[in-house]
Amino acid sequence: MNAAEYIKDKILLLVLHMSCMLLMAGFLHATGYETGYGLLILIFWLMILAVWLGVGYYNRKCYFRELETALEKMDQQYLLGELMPVSHRLEDQLYKEMIRTSNKSVIERIRQIEDEQKEYREYIESWVHEIKAPITSIDLMCENHREDITRRIHLENQKIENYVDMALYYARSDEVYKDYVIQKTDLEETAVVVLNRNKRYLIQSQVQAEVDCRDLAYTDQKWITFILNQLVLNSTKYRRETGARIWIRTEKYRHGVRLIVKDNGIGIREEELDRIFEKGFTGSNGRKRERSTGMGLYLCDRLCRKLGIVINVNSREGEGTSVSLEFPVSNYLLKE
Amino acid sequence: MHIMIVEDDAVIRQELQVLLENALYQVTALKDFSDVASDVLAGEPDLVLLDLNLPEESGFDICTEIRAESEIPVIFVTSRTDSMDELNGMLGGGDDYITKPFQAPILLARIAAVLKRTCRNTSKEAVRLTHKGVELDIARGMISHGNRQAELSKNELKIMHFLFQRKGEIVSRADMIEYLWDNQVFIDDNTLSVNVTRIRGKLQGIGVRDLIETKRGMGYRI
Repeated sequence: MNAAEYIKDKILLLVLHMSCMLLMAGFLHATGYETGYGLLILIFWLMILAVWLGVGYYNRKCYFRELETALEKMDQQYLLGELMPVSHRLEDQLYKEMIRTSNKSVIERIRQIEDEQKEYREYIESWVHEIKAPITSIDLMCENHREDITRRIHLENQKIENYVDMALYYARSDEVYKDYVIQKTDLEETAVVVLNRNKRYLIQSQVQAEVDCRDLAYTDQKWITFILNQLVLNSTKYRRETGARIWIRTEKYRHGVRLIVKDNGIGIREEELDRIFEKGFTGSNGRKRERSTGMGLYLCDRLCRKLGIVINVNSREGEGTSVSLEFPVSNYLLKE
Repeated sequence: MHIMIVEDDAVIRQELQVLLENALYQVTALKDFSDVASDVLAGEPDLVLLDLNLPEESGFDICTEIRAESEIPVIFVTSRTDSMDELNGMLGGGDDYITKPFQAPILLARIAAVLKRTCRNTSKEAVRLTHKGVELDIARGMISHGNRQAELSKNELKIMHFLFQRKGEIVSRADMIEYLWDNQVFIDDNTLSVNVTRIRGKLQGIGVRDLIETKRGMGYRI
């Protein structure tokens, strides 16, 4: 709000005063009042009006500045109604009341949505735990009756497990802080578990893998297994036709340990590289190959941020992709 | 080795039993969960696979009850993956923890590891295997025939070990590759052929011919 805007707002009042001044001048003139005195009255009138407007402008300016600062400082801006400055003006009081009522309904709605979301998330979690029992049964049955057909069933079952896991971790990714244990993690073991989980898929896809993870990292085993699983699945999905390979290795760097998953697959186009962590981004590869959900890398990135892991992707189309996860040694506490 | 399974899901219980029996363990599966702790103690198993979500009592409580009386190793099996469970598992005296769905080889490896830690007197797996005059020394990674010997690479050793374990049987390539993946050799079909060819070369070098037969479309046999 500036002075010009304020004057514009008060235009009706000004017009009223002007007309009154004109009327009075005319009246005084008609009754033969002395022009000098008449001018004096008008000048006083104008001065009083100017002071009135000036004070009014200053008051409003202060009031709204206070309101703005309150709004800026606020964490949840929809709570403004509670923090509006006190004003003796009737209009302000009425507005305040209305804003408070409106805020209250917003707050109620938010609570309701939060509750619904929480219930939904809890349901997804319990559903995932339920569905894991039949997945385990199918796995064991396949294991106990090794034939060509059970191999294929096992492969499909593994896909179900991976999708189910994604749902679980998506539901949970908001609440990482509640569910993590940072501990010394043997990355070699993690890599072996991930490769074993997907062995049928990898063998069927004629992918060879090499693991060389001598370094230990401080991180949450469960989450890192999930992330690594996504990376291995991606490398397998976007493999080259023949001689596909995946290398999983670790190296030390100045601030900690780096886990690198490298493949010699079809790579990612340079212009798409910036967008791969976006939710739902599938890219040209995702559309050409097997169906892609665009969720895998999005979840990886999101989890890495929460766990304080730095994730980097290097890729050349036609040559391969390498994803590195950096575990800073001194900075392993959860971020956010 | 005697393993007791405490699992309320009938299908999983049954399949687990088959899996463990195939792995040459003696298995008892509990079907009544009213008083698990005393049943376990009465059965005197060498190891207990304990599900966490049981109808009557939680696996943690049962473990605590068992621990009060005995040091039988306990491996928890559960579908919950929250870390709190993991912590409780450790505090409740469990020896290890595996989440559903698990890979059978990993479960077997965990069981073997816990048994190895807890029972010192388990007989060690033979480190020397012989077949048709050829001796495989697993500890040293050597294969010998008469007084001539050759050194095997890690992959070649694993391949030979698997063949020696199944003397006279036809081992399918798919089984072979899966076994190798279970043992941290992550190779594909072509590389398996290359490795087998290389082993044949080494065998010839020590004067053994035709030890490994190729059965077309079926696999290998020694």
